[in-house]
Amino acid sequence: MKIGLEVHLQLPTVSKLFCSCSTSGNGPNTSICPTCLGFPGSRPRLNRRALEMTILISRFLNCRISERSWFSRKTYFYPDLPKNFQITQYESPIGVDGGYSFNGKMVRITRVHLEEDPGKIKRVGKSGEEVSLIDYNRSGIPLVEIVTAPDITSPSEAREFMADLLIELRHLVGLSERNEQTVRVDANISVGEERVEIKNILGLKNLERGLSFEASRQAKMLKAGKRIVRETRNFDEERRVTTSARSKESEEDYGYILEPDLGMYHVSSMAKMIQVPETPLKRAERLSAEYGIDRTSIRQIVLTSSTLTDFLERLCSNVPPDIAVTWVLGPLSANWKYLERRLDEDLSDRIENTIQMVIRGDITDSEARMRIGAFARGGGAETTQDSKERSTLAELVSECIDQNPQVLFDFRSNKRAANFVIGQIMRETKGKYSSSEIVETVNKEIERRLKDRVVT
Amino acid sequence: MFSELIDEMPLDSSFKFNFSAKDNLCTIDFQTRAGSKILDGYRPPFDATPVRRLRRAGGLLVGKTNMDEFGFGTFCTNSGYGVPRNPFDIERSCGGSSGGAAAAACLLEDHISLGVSTGGSISCPASFCGVVGLTPTYGRVSRYGLVDYGNSLDKVGILARSSSMIKNHFPTIAGSDPMDPTSCAQPALDLDETQIDSIAVPREAMENIHPAVMDSFLRALDIMRDRLSIDIHEVTVPSLRFALPAYYVLATSEASTNLARYCGMRFGVKGDDVTQHFNDYFSSVRSKNFGKEAKRRILLGTYSRMVGFRNRYYLKALSVRQTVISDYARVLKEHDLVATPTMPFIAPRFSEIERMKPIEMYRADFLTVPPNLAGLPHISVPCGYVDSMPTGMQLVSQHWSEGVLLNIANMWEGVFQYRFPGARQ
Repeated sequence: MKIGLEVHLQLPTVSKLFCSCSTSGNGPNTSICPTCLGFPGSRPRLNRRALEMTILISRFLNCRISERSWFSRKTYFYPDLPKNFQITQYESPIGVDGGYSFNGKMVRITRVHLEEDPGKIKRVGKSGEEVSLIDYNRSGIPLVEIVTAPDITSPSEAREFMADLLIELRHLVGLSERNEQTVRVDANISVGEERVEIKNILGLKNLERGLSFEASRQAKMLKAGKRIVRETRNFDEERRVTTSARSKESEEDYGYILEPDLGMYHVSSMAKMIQVPETPLKRAERLSAEYGIDRTSIRQIVLTSSTLTDFLERLCSNVPPDIAVTWVLGPLSANWKYLERRLDEDLSDRIENTIQMVIRGDITDSEARMRIGAFARGGGAETTQDSKERSTLAELVSECIDQNPQVLFDFRSNKRAANFVIGQIMRETKGKYSSSEIVETVNKEIERRLKDRVVT
Repeated sequence: MFSELIDEMPLDSSFKFNFSAKDNLCTIDFQTRAGSKILDGYRPPFDATPVRRLRRAGGLLVGKTNMDEFGFGTFCTNSGYGVPRNPFDIERSCGGSSGGAAAAACLLEDHISLGVSTGGSISCPASFCGVVGLTPTYGRVSRYGLVDYGNSLDKVGILARSSSMIKNHFPTIAGSDPMDPTSCAQPALDLDETQIDSIAVPREAMENIHPAVMDSFLRALDIMRDRLSIDIHEVTVPSLRFALPAYYVLATSEASTNLARYCGMRFGVKGDDVTQHFNDYFSSVRSKNFGKEAKRRILLGTYSRMVGFRNRYYLKALSVRQTVISDYARVLKEHDLVATPTMPFIAPRFSEIERMKPIEMYRADFLTVPPNLAGLPHISVPCGYVDSMPTGMQLVSQHWSEGVLLNIANMWEGVFQYRFPGARQ
């Protein structure tokens, strides 16, 4: 079975592709202007950010970046398309001939290009009296189209491919939830010789369902000795079947011409200035290779959070990777909901320390688990090891009182004298300790000294 | 001549000058119909940049001038709103497609007409109506708010009775505008006086010209040589012959996509039966409201970009355009200007136009099309009178050198007297 995908994904820009309208309208037809409504005399102005994002995605997908790129008009009549032509790219996509390694194999990427989204048609009213309403808020939102070669071999693989791609792009360009929910895919599938295109499938679940239906339909036909005709089909989400659509024009029938209002863009020189950051799954692949961590575990860690992965990576350079993974997947993941906000350099030190202590045999496994649990909730629980931290604070307090002995005299008549020391320590430690912790330590120390008659 | 006119002139005149705009330039306070029934009643939500800039400079917009539907025509006989008549002889054409603009510039003293040229729509009517018409370099004047014909060819310019009037107002409308990216790569406008030594006359432009029109052009060249001490050289520019077909392929290809948006939705006229399938609805609105020439050009353009023909026509035309540009560059390296007659004949009578086939009308543009295809600035000035009708001379200069054109026109006005018909103010 051969499956190739054409993925249409909205880019998370603030404004539309060719005008300054916001990409998030508040109610139907509220984010529109002469340009995205195609009024006579209006003109497109390219959103640079959308171009940069498309270049970034193309680079990420290992595409060759075109030297120069331009836009074309694809003409067809449809009510959601204000100009009755779509500004898209034809001869000069931003990226070509790329590839994405996935499940240990390579899915070739044929092209990546940038285009404008049309408006949205909504059917309302009772059956038989339906009318169409059009919301042009979507008109002109930047869409990136990613076309793969027919290298995918099953409907579930297609879904996994899409899921992975979305994970990567979420990180790469910051897709919003809406961007991901509105991902639309045209899928080409052939079981035998001839391919069939399923148009405009919304979402990943439907992608798998549509392809599965189509795969078994084609298989049944072949078994019955029938020929499969090359055609375009629609996926009916309710009934979960594909149905034959109008016979489709070939790409060339759209009568493409250059978009004369937009110029040539020297995208390859722009591409040189754009760095591709390491995406989560690429990072998983690298860590898996570097430390011999199994795919499932590393994937789970990477998908939890990049901060957690940062911690794993630092841990791996100091302790055996299998131990690191066990702790990260175990106590750290279990407490992640709390740790997520707290895990700074200092806390990372303390947790690593704790793990080191287990390895050295200083404390037990369960003691360490309790400690990590306590750190996660703000370091409340007392264990023997906390005394080290406490002693640091106690030392500071003690030092401060040594330098300001009059506090002890004053304290006897006025307990508020302790505030001086508390203030000093707070300034010095800059929020490292909670105020209640400091108050407690200071009071304890003063009272201890008074009791022990350190001063007379 | 006007497709819509101001109701009454304001009494307190704080306005410094008055002007009109061709009806394909968007205006908030006047309909903008571009000569087409399909835009009947359309009031744009914004002013075109050149209109806005003239208003801001103290201009009073007095009306919108009639034109061939969407600029499709050479005689202004393709408007959905009547036919403007030539001020020199009302039985004759104003020329097109900025026919109303030329008539207004001719009849009204101290009047600035904004015109638009795609393939000669400023030069042609300027020549037929005996006025000066400046078509700037492509990209010099913002096209924001111009109803598109061929976006890679459209240029907003000025028609007026003299070059000095144009010189006063051209800097106002020129200059980059972020709303039109194609206007944002221009060098500064330089209107300083320059020395003009040499004018080239292409041999290819001397064929198929009415003898009397040719005579007046040659006399004008003699005056330039004798009184302005400018050398006249005959040159050969073979690609000029291919400019016309290349132009019509590109202009109609772009036009056929530009006109796709007019379908009775969102703006302009509405259809009668909204229960129809959208395809039938669009078709009925378009069949009913587009004129014959608009339909012809949509078909021509759609054909040129169709599969199987795209390589032979559209892509070929793009490469011819490059050849024409480089041929001009070669000539303009040696010479300051290229001169030709503007039109091969004087303004024809309407009765003559009726007998012309479309291809003959298209051919009448063979002198105005080449500089338009190349995006070069050009100016048409009256250069003689045949049967009391004006003839025009078209001068072409290098990209961005509108200053040279206004300069030569000014020199020309020092040695040649323009005539205007009895003024009707």
